[in-house]
Amino acid sequence: MIFFPAIILVLFLGILSVLLLDKRFSRPAATLFSAIALAIIIIMFVYYLSGRTANYSETVQYISAFGISLQFFANGFSVPLSLLAGIVGLAAIIGGNPLQEKGKVANSLVLLFEATAIGLFASGNLFLFFIFWDIGVIAAFFMISYLGDGNHLNSAKIYLLYSLLASALLLFGILMIYFYTPIRSFSISIIEANAQMIPLGVQEVIFVSLLIAFMIKMPVFPFHSWMQSAYSDASTQGSMLIAGLLSKFGAYGILLLFLMLPVARTYAPYILIIAIASAFYAALNGIRKDDLKRMAAFTSMAESAVILTGIAAFSIFGLDGAVYGMLAFGLGIALLFLSIGSIEFMFGSKHMSILNGVVKEAASSAYSFLFGVFAATGVPITAAFIADLLIFIGADKSFGVLGLIPLFSIIIVGAYLYYAINKSFFDTESSVEIVRYETGHWNPSYALLIFSILALGIVPSLILGFR
Amino acid sequence: MIHSIVEYGIPLIILAMVTGGFAFLRRRDRGPMALTGLFLIIAFGIGLLAFHSGYDFVEFGILRIDGFSSMLLSFFAIALLLVLMLAKDEEEPGLFNMLFCLAASGVFFVVLSYSLLSLMMAIELISAATALMVLNGGKKRIEPAVKLFVISTVAISVFVFAVVMIMPYDLSFAIAPLQMNTGLVGSSLIMLAAVLFVVALAVEAGLFPFNIWMADVYQGAQGHVTALLSGVNKKVAFIAILYVFFVVFAGYTKVLSPLFELIAILTMFFGNLVAMVQKDVKRMLAYSSISQAGYILIGIAVGTTLGLDASLFQIIAHTFMTIGAFGIVMWLGSRGINTVDDYKGLFQRNGFMGVAFAILLLSMAGVPPLMGFVGKFLLFSSAIGSGLVALAVIGIINSFISIYYYGKVIVSMADRTEKGSLHPSIGVIAVTLICLLVVLVVGLYPQPLISILSKSVLSVF
Repeated sequence: MIFFPAIILVLFLGILSVLLLDKRFSRPAATLFSAIALAIIIIMFVYYLSGRTANYSETVQYISAFGISLQFFANGFSVPLSLLAGIVGLAAIIGGNPLQEKGKVANSLVLLFEATAIGLFASGNLFLFFIFWDIGVIAAFFMISYLGDGNHLNSAKIYLLYSLLASALLLFGILMIYFYTPIRSFSISIIEANAQMIPLGVQEVIFVSLLIAFMIKMPVFPFHSWMQSAYSDASTQGSMLIAGLLSKFGAYGILLLFLMLPVARTYAPYILIIAIASAFYAALNGIRKDDLKRMAAFTSMAESAVILTGIAAFSIFGLDGAVYGMLAFGLGIALLFLSIGSIEFMFGSKHMSILNGVVKEAASSAYSFLFGVFAATGVPITAAFIADLLIFIGADKSFGVLGLIPLFSIIIVGAYLYYAINKSFFDTESSVEIVRYETGHWNPSYALLIFSILALGIVPSLILGFR
Repeated sequence: MIHSIVEYGIPLIILAMVTGGFAFLRRRDRGPMALTGLFLIIAFGIGLLAFHSGYDFVEFGILRIDGFSSMLLSFFAIALLLVLMLAKDEEEPGLFNMLFCLAASGVFFVVLSYSLLSLMMAIELISAATALMVLNGGKKRIEPAVKLFVISTVAISVFVFAVVMIMPYDLSFAIAPLQMNTGLVGSSLIMLAAVLFVVALAVEAGLFPFNIWMADVYQGAQGHVTALLSGVNKKVAFIAILYVFFVVFAGYTKVLSPLFELIAILTMFFGNLVAMVQKDVKRMLAYSSISQAGYILIGIAVGTTLGLDASLFQIIAHTFMTIGAFGIVMWLGSRGINTVDDYKGLFQRNGFMGVAFAILLLSMAGVPPLMGFVGKFLLFSSAIGSGLVALAVIGIINSFISIYYYGKVIVSMADRTEKGSLHPSIGVIAVTLICLLVVLVVGLYPQPLISILSKSVLSVF
């Protein structure tokens, strides 16, 4: 079974056809190939869910000099996360670019990003992980610099500097792991088995450099400066993918780090402290934002901190919760950004002070935003509820009451998001003028995302059945 | 049969090229260029044949044909061909062609040289011909031409001095390990000779602190001449460094390693930090090319087989990246587009060339899955593998610094201002396409090239 190479191949065929076909066919072609990819992902999902052994690896030789091969793992992390990538990618293509401005470039970038995200989540060795990581970073860079608006060039510069600092640290860490593991290998499973033999000092160096790299990408408190402007200036598709998938690259990286390096677990309390700081920093910063995209950006940052708490707990509950959280928060934040993008498209503004009574003219977007807020704040029957539950049970077991502190940041996040809803969406006394009456194709995307969020919220055993 | 093709073909093709360059010399005639191109293609074929057959012999006491040199013969033939394609729009193509043939024969002599003397002559030939090429574009190019000529003459003098110094130790001028005169082993004189060799070759290779001349010359010369300087001349100097320090001074590699480390670090920092403040793209690329010399030197400082593989890989990678990039810069320069601000909106003005330039720049910055990344990956991993962690860290820091200025250009190209579209000439498109393909294909699947390189490195060192 070669699911992952097949998915990536399909997506690259999609890029090719988008680039070669006429502009008019760019969205249909992209939608088609993305849907085929999602279908393969779902088949794979069902295949592994139906009791077949889930820890399966697919290997194709690539560079023999370093023992590097194309190696993909299908396990409890990679399959759910590729599902996330497939859904968010498809939703972004269908609804994210209503006028198909620069449609060819935009759609092929989304497909490229989707392919790299799936490749990264499934990669069985660190070299491949790094390659996919950087392709994703560059694809997102063009979504900000070339497709973005507002002060996008400056945001792109800052984003690129931060991201490639992360890449440099990542490369260094990976090379150190390779050369200091007794059996020289990039393969994650071999490193997991042998990492305890790396000298302690070297482990600490590796841990710190990789941790910073992943924290930049998540983003977590001291390394988040690129986030606000990048999230808010990227194109709608770009914000959906960056918040929904790119930030999960970092979370998944930290998860791998905890799985691989024994020294990481001794630092868990410090990670918890960083997570608490980050959660409250994000929650408190979000309050004062007028720009809805920036508000959503800080929501995403607070969610990242919650995921980090789950990973730091490093128990069955914590890890399950973290994976579930990446999935749930990824879908929720993509829904939020998509609805904000659509609202901005229709009303010409994304500022709370200008928007009023959105629900009158754009009911579907308004209710989707509301649902996105439910998903972000972990209201029961949404997926995020299960994630929060698992994460905080895990955190309570590992850290005691201290582990529950990040939970309160979610309350603050909820408070300001519900305030925004009240003020801009459902207060119909006065309403803002519509700038453009055309409606995009965003309703199918809303449906896809909301359906996934509900499905995962109501039937958690879909994901938890894997372990 | 094949043996005689290789044996007679290689000297003959060099001879034919030089003769052809002179015989058909008419200043404004473009025809002879095609002939030179044909000779280069034949040289490429013969090199491939020699590499494939695995010959190892010495001709006339000055030409050594083995896996390493024949591989490089083929590679430089391609690189020179690319430069020749860029030079199509030269004002005085006949004259350029003649000088180009001289420089090309010099390149082949360096690659094939088995004697320190022929190495020296060949380097001199290249730099004299290149200085005249720089001059070729008119009066305002006198200053860079004179700079290049003077500095390379001084370098050659130093080189001669160094050759003379090792005379008492060596029984011949051959590029073979030093034949020790037992009474003099360990004398500081031989270290002095080694240092002089470093100085002489550092000038051509653009290593700190002997690279102050580079930016002026690169900026002042015409685009294709800059491509030649950065893509071929500099790389040839690195091949000479390999010959001198890994064959002649093979016993001293360990002693010299710290010196190379130091120079590598200084060169990387110098190139990258100065490039950061440049506004002119051509000048910025000149400094970036200096920093790339520093990366290449990492592998030489490491000195293991893996290190040399990595250096060679980076040499080849940077040749393609730099020729492609300078080709595009040359084309834009002819439209009056020079500074980073002028590059605004290039993605809209010509999408293909914009994307190609962005990919070449990203490859120079070392972003996967491009060829420049594989080169840097091999370099840094060879350094960490030999315990030079600090060197690798500094390399990685530098490759991060370089993002700043490459990113600046790419961001500027992404700006959406409405300007008229631009169309390059066929030669520029072809060169860009070839360089882009190489950078992408080898970046995605580097294994064949790496195995060719390690095979050829094992045949000499």
